Amino acid sequence: MTHPTPAPASSPEPHAPLTSASAAVDGSEHGLSKKGLSAGSVGLIGAIVIGISCIAPAYTLTGALGPTVAEVGTQLPAIFLLGFIPMLLVAFGYRELNSAMPDSGTSFTWATRAFGPWIGWMAGWGLIAATVVVLSNLAGIAVEFFYLALAQAFNNPDLANLVGNPFVNVATCLVFILGATLISYRDMQTTQKVQYWLVGFQLLVMIGFGVAAFWHVANGTAFDPTQVELSWFNPFEVGSFTAVVAGLSVSLFVFWGWDVTLTMNEETRGSNTTPGRAATLTVTIVVAIYLFVAMGALAFAGIGETGVGLGNPEIQENAFFYLAGPILGPVAILMSLAVLSSSAASLQSTFVSPARTLLAMGHYGALPSKFASVSPRFFTPGYATVVSAIVAAGFYTVMRFVSEDVLWDTITTLGMMICFYYGLTAFAAVWYFRKTWFASFRNAFFRLFAPLVGGLILTVLFFTTLIDSMDPSYGSGSNIAGVGLVFILGIVILATGVVIMIWQRFKRPEFFRGERLSKDVAQA
Amino acid sequence: MSEPGRRILVGYTADDAGADALALGARIAAASEALLEVVMVLPIEARGGVVPPDPGYERHVKERSRGWLAEASASLGDTVPQSLHIRYAASFAAGLLDAAHEFDASLIVVGTARGGLFGRTRIGSVADELLHSSDVPVALAPSGAREVPIAQGVTRITAAVGTTPGAVLDSSVALAAALHAPLRLLSLVPVDLPAGVDTGLVELTSAVGAQRVLDEARAALPAGVDATATVATGDTIEESVKALDWHAGELVLVGSSRLAAPTRLFLGSTASKMLRELPVPLIVVPRTSRKTER
Repeated sequence: MTHPTPAPASSPEPHAPLTSASAAVDGSEHGLSKKGLSAGSVGLIGAIVIGISCIAPAYTLTGALGPTVAEVGTQLPAIFLLGFIPMLLVAFGYRELNSAMPDSGTSFTWATRAFGPWIGWMAGWGLIAATVVVLSNLAGIAVEFFYLALAQAFNNPDLANLVGNPFVNVATCLVFILGATLISYRDMQTTQKVQYWLVGFQLLVMIGFGVAAFWHVANGTAFDPTQVELSWFNPFEVGSFTAVVAGLSVSLFVFWGWDVTLTMNEETRGSNTTPGRAATLTVTIVVAIYLFVAMGALAFAGIGETGVGLGNPEIQENAFFYLAGPILGPVAILMSLAVLSSSAASLQSTFVSPARTLLAMGHYGALPSKFASVSPRFFTPGYATVVSAIVAAGFYTVMRFVSEDVLWDTITTLGMMICFYYGLTAFAAVWYFRKTWFASFRNAFFRLFAPLVGGLILTVLFFTTLIDSMDPSYGSGSNIAGVGLVFILGIVILATGVVIMIWQRFKRPEFFRGERLSKDVAQA
Repeated sequence: MSEPGRRILVGYTADDAGADALALGARIAAASEALLEVVMVLPIEARGGVVPPDPGYERHVKERSRGWLAEASASLGDTVPQSLHIRYAASFAAGLLDAAHEFDASLIVVGTARGGLFGRTRIGSVADELLHSSDVPVALAPSGAREVPIAQGVTRITAAVGTTPGAVLDSSVALAAALHAPLRLLSLVPVDLPAGVDTGLVELTSAVGAQRVLDEARAALPAGVDATATVATGDTIEESVKALDWHAGELVLVGSSRLAAPTRLFLGSTASKMLRELPVPLIVVPRTSRKTER
């Protein structure tokens, strides 16, 4: 297998010339012997488990349910289905790029190859920003469920109120981030077997949650029994384009991470069909669970603005936190455990992606080479991991004190960042493959149509969200001096990226002259 | 593996512990005309159930490791014949053990964990796992082994013989012969008397027991092999070890615990205590070595 790109393989650091002995390091690239490659490969079930772990349905749903209902009301199922379309289309382009140029830098590397260093740098920045934002959100959700689980375990509701104290909250969150950093740095990730059980548990609890919700509805014990209607699946019933866009930008987040199942092509065991089947099965499971649980929650709680009604802003940023008790009753702690285990898995997988992108940026000279360093003990991108953790911790701390609705605001901001870098990635696919578009019908679809349409949808979502979020009443209603907080966050994050990029341009001009990673185009 | 001679396997990492292991391995290999197999063990990426594998990253790590091996090899120069390897395994210890079997190595050399108090040697998790699973003798390079020049060679082999000297004695004799180094027998008889017993009694039983063990060990030496003998005295194992004289180029062999499964290593409490105070490398030999004849 030959790859046209310099994957971060050809190391740039000037080390001692290879001695005759070292030239004979066995297990070199040619001859894919068992010794030369990491022997482990992922089977179908393994790929599905990794996919579900990355999506972390229990975590994403508790974070996304409220904000989405706030925008689109009972049309929640429709928006979840709709939100999947751009993600699917972009994922096709992502897969094409990944098989043509497999590289740890993903969006950064691909956008640089297609559009040159400046746009590539910003795509990398967008990915890093999105993952850092989601890291802080994840840790924040984990904190809330940690105290909820304690309260449930000790039968003491006061414990759950501790999350409201910003100092306790931030301190706990920092401890969680520290723990996740250590796990990531030392590469002590959950083993496959344990993760099979955790994912199975997570899915069972969510199904149980949905069943219990409908059971309450049937028994007349629901909070606000709401009739399931076909209109829930009709996005045109939402009424306002702005609301649909806002709902979509939140719902993008619930499918984020799914693309990894599509791209595990090189290392999945068995035939070429394994990754495709894994991706299909993963997304089928996840969509079914989302729809079932979302409909259960809607039918049970309605969209009223009081109590546990999903329209109540008090409960919207962490819906399961409030719904688990009324719906699951004595076994509500299971939901806390499911969300906690889901967040823990997602923390592990999410930590890896900014670290790998930072590593690639350091490797190609877009950032200091320190970022490219690999821990000699644990073989993880140690420096990049620690930097990501510090930034995520700082971001959460500032946000917790600036915003009343930090979880909600971070998810909306995240949606915007996903649009930004996924959009660039999609266009990178279209442009990089421009000479191969019409070589086959397959190419025309996967290299032109799908990524182009996906990219355009994300572009529209990005700009609409950016403009709408200027309104101080946008989303959670957080604002600074009458300007929506989400808008400020989006602009600050992107502007910071531009400033650092220009600074790096003067520190490291070689990259920006395209000497380290040149523009390229796929040849037919 | 028809090549003549011994093979010494070094479990290398690109840090101080790895440098210690490499220096010690090279010193033993040079002194015994053995071939040095330098092995880096990389983790199998797909073993986890959460993080999606990334071939790009795997390539990067592999390339980096190749660079590290090249640097290590360059630092050794032409002092000792060597070959370099990268292996994938679920754990460092498992990878080393597989490689040791593959190369039919007679010794595995690893570094010890940093951060022992007051310069003491502490067994790291890697060495610990290896000590629990290896059927090949394991040499633990103490912190600072990288400062000892290769030309120093091995100046003496000390066999710490316990009540059941068999395997240690055989290995020590073989190693001393291979290294052309003199052999010293050392008795550190663990006294398993209950706490609070009169210390005079402890000393008496200890001294008598130690002398008896040494006599038995000397009698068991093959014809033509000569050895000096020392009884370590002191209230505790640690004090005994401190009181002895040690050469800079010395190696100490100790048998694995009586609790260990046959042919598997396990560091007993006496050996653990020795390790903490020992200024020179310790080699742990399985109770019934597969390679006693070597």
